[in-house]
Amino acid sequence: MDRRSFVKAAGVAGIAGLAGCTGGPSEGGEATTTEESGGEETTTTEQTTGGSDAAANIGMVYALGGLGDKSFNDAAKRGIEQAKTEFGITYEEAQPSASEEFPQFQRRFAQSTNPNYDLVSCIGFAQKSALKETAPNFPDQNFMLVDDELPELDNVASYLFREEQGSFQIGHLAGLLTTQEFAAGAAETTPDEKRVGFVGGVDAPLIRKFQAGFEAGVKHADEEITVDVAYSGSFSDSAKGKEIATSMYDKGADIIYHAAGATGLGVFQAASDNGKFAVGVDSDQSKTEPKYADVILASMVKRVETAVFTSVENVVDDDFNGGTSTTLGLEEDGVAAVYGDELGSEIPQDVKDKLETSRESIIAGDIEVPTTTE
Amino acid sequence: MSADGRGKAVLRRLASASAMERILISFAALVLATLIGAVIVLVSGRVATCQTAATTLFGVGFCYDPLDVYLVLFNGALGQPFLLDSPGLFNPDWNPLSFGLAFTLKETTLLIFTGLSVAVAFRAGLFNIGTQGQLVLGGLATALFAVFVAPLLPGGVVGGLILIPLAVLVGAVVGGLYGAIPGALKAYSDANEVITTIMLNFIAAGIAKVLVSEFFRNPDSQVIETAPIPDWGTILPIAFPKGSDFSILALGFGLALVVGVWYLLERTSLGYDLRTSGEQPEAAEYGGVDAKRTTVVSMFLSGALGGIGGAIWVLMVIGNWLTDVPSLGFDGITVSILAGNNPFGIVPAALLFGTLKSGSLAVQFQTGVPKQLVGVLRGLIILFVAMPEFFRMLGTRFTTTQGREAVATDGGEPLSGGDDE
Repeated sequence: MDRRSFVKAAGVAGIAGLAGCTGGPSEGGEATTTEESGGEETTTTEQTTGGSDAAANIGMVYALGGLGDKSFNDAAKRGIEQAKTEFGITYEEAQPSASEEFPQFQRRFAQSTNPNYDLVSCIGFAQKSALKETAPNFPDQNFMLVDDELPELDNVASYLFREEQGSFQIGHLAGLLTTQEFAAGAAETTPDEKRVGFVGGVDAPLIRKFQAGFEAGVKHADEEITVDVAYSGSFSDSAKGKEIATSMYDKGADIIYHAAGATGLGVFQAASDNGKFAVGVDSDQSKTEPKYADVILASMVKRVETAVFTSVENVVDDDFNGGTSTTLGLEEDGVAAVYGDELGSEIPQDVKDKLETSRESIIAGDIEVPTTTE
Repeated sequence: MSADGRGKAVLRRLASASAMERILISFAALVLATLIGAVIVLVSGRVATCQTAATTLFGVGFCYDPLDVYLVLFNGALGQPFLLDSPGLFNPDWNPLSFGLAFTLKETTLLIFTGLSVAVAFRAGLFNIGTQGQLVLGGLATALFAVFVAPLLPGGVVGGLILIPLAVLVGAVVGGLYGAIPGALKAYSDANEVITTIMLNFIAAGIAKVLVSEFFRNPDSQVIETAPIPDWGTILPIAFPKGSDFSILALGFGLALVVGVWYLLERTSLGYDLRTSGEQPEAAEYGGVDAKRTTVVSMFLSGALGGIGGAIWVLMVIGNWLTDVPSLGFDGITVSILAGNNPFGIVPAALLFGTLKSGSLAVQFQTGVPKQLVGVLRGLIILFVAMPEFFRMLGTRFTTTQGREAVATDGGEPLSGGDDE
């Protein structure tokens, strides 16, 4: 075949293929929508109902891992989706790829007048310093911040979680199970090794809270259990996560809890390869990562969606709580240990009972969970 | 003519291209990249699902409008000088001193430093891939110096005038020393600088991270960062709005450095040594150039420019140092190639990069096009514009001595080893 006929054939096939694609706009091609270019209609990948008649218009600035992390950002997205269904709000989203882009996106949302944003949601503690500069420049713009607080700013509502409480529950569960013979799904424990592991993302005070709670929970179950701790230094390095987890499993750990965003996917891979257990974080990862549901014992869900949803609800109700910090713990169901979708039913009832008891004691204040590691 | 011979002929043609031709080639490449990008946008717009068509061609609806994407890209980078709803019309509210343009110029300024850094090494025949590491450590030194010296200074404008130049100098010296390491390794033990500089990037990032997280960490912060530099110690935006992370002073400094580097390379004996060792190392040595010293000095200069880039990033953009350093050093390599390693060429090359970076944020924000697709468009433009220059550099390096045309002194006979060897 000579070059010309190849090019011709490829061109024809390409156009035919393009025309046959199943995607594209659902309203078909006749509609002349070109005059909308530059306006708000083209700005949406979401099926918005139009800017003006919506109950509120929200700008979302996600954390660095970006959407599709099956964890933190995706949880925030669920919250805004839920608000969309319930209140008929519209939203736009931005996924910064570096810290220096945070102020850019925050400001773009705050500055925009067409449409005007009723609330700018800043997901993740890394946005704090950017928001601290941006928010005072736009006193009429409402912001919300997840995972850190800026109580000195009247136009920022802060949402914090008691991660240590949920992590305590996970630690308690891991501690109870590592000491007994337990096999479920594709994994099993080694009862003679009293060892569990913790993999953190970036070594920050926030992630230390997870670690502190986890360690306290493990000790609550059995003082003699060793907890291996390692930080990968990133929330998006699953290869590193796998490397760390594999070495922990090799040393005899049988349950690893991760608080490392997308790095945790590597922990699950290692668990699956070694036939050991892992515990997810932020979302119920046995559902978001069904491939690993046979090794995910439980997840420490941190209901970022609750924070996002509540803040939107407040804005819709004209009751924006700027200048305050809302803390969501076990009691408010802001954090919780949920059992794995596949393995949960196989966890012995007496373990579940003990967990329920410790949960109640935490809420009642009988167990003080530390927030910092020694 | 064999494929090999044809390739060589093209290389030779590129190598002998005049400045005007090179500019024309770059523009043609830009147009071609835009066209190919437009096709990609259309195809992805067909694969993606959306409710309303952004554009309709030949009775088929597409989710993304390529024309709109490119308009938003360049319009956003310049701070919306045009009203897109009615194309061609100037925006009466256009204010050049806006955030959009500030972001473009901020990127441009930073890339001028890193581009110069790579170019200086290139001219000396050294491929410095380590600008990123030099920038990281230079920036860290600047931040630490500023944080620890600031309490000793009076504050205000006077304090700023003392602190900022000193802090930049510290960044330059640290970056320069870190750049001199691979230079010395190359000069005295013949270690390939490409490999050592790449490795030193990792080492720099590691050192900086350990230093900050273990010793200089801001205790109030969740992220690994140093304490903030007081406001008077940072380079404040002049004319541009507060918080725009760009100062005309830094751009002016960058442009002054461009002239300075040009002067150094073209008009001083050090520059002459540097260039000759880059082009003809044996001839330079025969001519009395101390090759080892020149290698170390040129890497020091290159590193110092990278360090200044880091210093400006710290002082102008972030206001402290944090681990999430953007890959300015690596972009500097492309900027330098794009500019043909000419100091004056760095400015438009950096501007192109800045425009694309700033514009792609606007695209991501104003159209539904996902950021990954915008990244593809950016990459296409950079690849297309940089490749002719890249091949031209290969051409000058590999084809000048062989296969030149027969000249009168050869008796008009073609030389052996010509086109069809």
